[in-house]
Amino acid sequence: MQLTKKHKTTAQFLALALLGFFSFLMLEITLRYIPASTRASFLQIKQTEVENLWYYLPVFYTHVYTSMFCLVAGFTQFSRYLLREHRSVHRITGYVYVLVVLFFSAPTGFIMGIHANGGGLAIFFFITLSVLWWAFTLRAVMAARQQQFREHRFMMIRSYALTLSAITLRLWKWILVQFFHPSPMDVYVIVAGLGWIPNWLVAEYIIYKIKSK
Amino acid sequence: MKYAYFSALFCMVLLFSCKPKKKTAAADAPVAAAQELPPELHTDLYGNWVGDFVSVVEGEQDYEDVARINIRLTRITEDGVEGRSVVKGNDRPMKGTLTLTGNKYSFIMDEPGSDRHDGRFEFSITGDTLKGKWKAYKATEVRNPVKEFVLVKKPFRYNANLMLPEDWDYVDYENGRTKTELYTNEDGTVDTSINKVYRMASEEVYKINGSVKELTEKEIKNLKKLDLEIIRNTIFARHGYSFRNKGVRQFFDQVEWYVPVTNSIDGVLTGVEQKNVALLQRFEKYARDNYDTFGR
Repeated sequence: MQLTKKHKTTAQFLALALLGFFSFLMLEITLRYIPASTRASFLQIKQTEVENLWYYLPVFYTHVYTSMFCLVAGFTQFSRYLLREHRSVHRITGYVYVLVVLFFSAPTGFIMGIHANGGGLAIFFFITLSVLWWAFTLRAVMAARQQQFREHRFMMIRSYALTLSAITLRLWKWILVQFFHPSPMDVYVIVAGLGWIPNWLVAEYIIYKIKSK
Repeated sequence: MKYAYFSALFCMVLLFSCKPKKKTAAADAPVAAAQELPPELHTDLYGNWVGDFVSVVEGEQDYEDVARINIRLTRITEDGVEGRSVVKGNDRPMKGTLTLTGNKYSFIMDEPGSDRHDGRFEFSITGDTLKGKWKAYKATEVRNPVKEFVLVKKPFRYNANLMLPEDWDYVDYENGRTKTELYTNEDGTVDTSINKVYRMASEEVYKINGSVKELTEKEIKNLKKLDLEIIRNTIFARHGYSFRNKGVRQFFDQVEWYVPVTNSIDGVLTGVEQKNVALLQRFEKYARDNYDTFGR
């Protein structure tokens, strides 16, 4: 079946609606941490780190409060219309995204990854995720500054695919629990990898499709 | 100045030397009073008589409604018998009479009547067995107004090392989920099957002891809510806590060492246990709020 323009518009609309729905859920999760407390939500099972590592709480809250801004970029940055007609929107949102990822979300994700639940494999998954996320984003911004917009586009597709792991990780966890009722840390190790590796593969597939056009 | 120290010291010596004197005087009084009470009889019957408290429905024992009961005999004199009944989280005083025929001790004991679940115990002790019946005063207000029981004497002693038996499956039969499944028959028609699904605890429930040492988050992080609850309730069970909730009782009522003795454990838990209970409750709450939701 040949995809018509109408199909594509519908698909884009659906993707944005899905992103909107899950961003809303993420916002709801973020709001559980307001007001900030040492025992809010996820921190209930992280008291060992909270009590023994002076930097854990600041790092954790930086991650929680800044990471919402990364998701927002998905609503604007892949729009050809905004890119052509309102370039400043693309540039400003892009700089916010890049600054948040490079200086806040990815580095704090890395530190949290070192202390991740679920043991060695989960730690490996989370650390790799944060390093790749940081590297893709950095290369994307450097490519844009060197006017290599094709490279910029590919790197940003990879970067945002990993940004979406915030959603896919939690979605996989929900699905696995509904079907298999695994123990909490067993599922945690699985989603630590399942949360972003398929995303990355999909990104590579999209890039391959664009390249082969 | 030196003088002041000396006099202060002297006063303190006086103060402390006074205290024991007062104590002995105070301790003397009850002893004197006790001597006026009638002498205690058959003290060898004192203690915890423990076993199944089984509902009787239309003359038949109904093991759907069974709980571990403790009938505690605390005082027997010419004037009567005093004791307590502890079952399903109810700890009730009772008073009554004892008649001895041959080697059979027959008791009739009444709970106060101020609780909906109060009633009359009629039982007899022959040798090492206590056997009898209970009838609720208000038969219409309780679900099963007649119970039977055969009990044996069991000492209660707190021991932090007691664990749930290893050779059992800990399945939560009280909180099953109904699961509807579609399946296709050989002839192609589709039917639904409705199954009950039950949670089963992991083997950690008889490996992790919350009474002997402080648990770490790492040790309990991979446990599901049922495991956490059982490990926490085992701490209470060691102290003889009588559980009201059938979902909890189902795991302890058949445990050999479990003797329900009280429905209040305020101030009984050790420091280690208090910390572990708080930790386990925190993880239970996290599991309840987050385990099957969109999130981590």
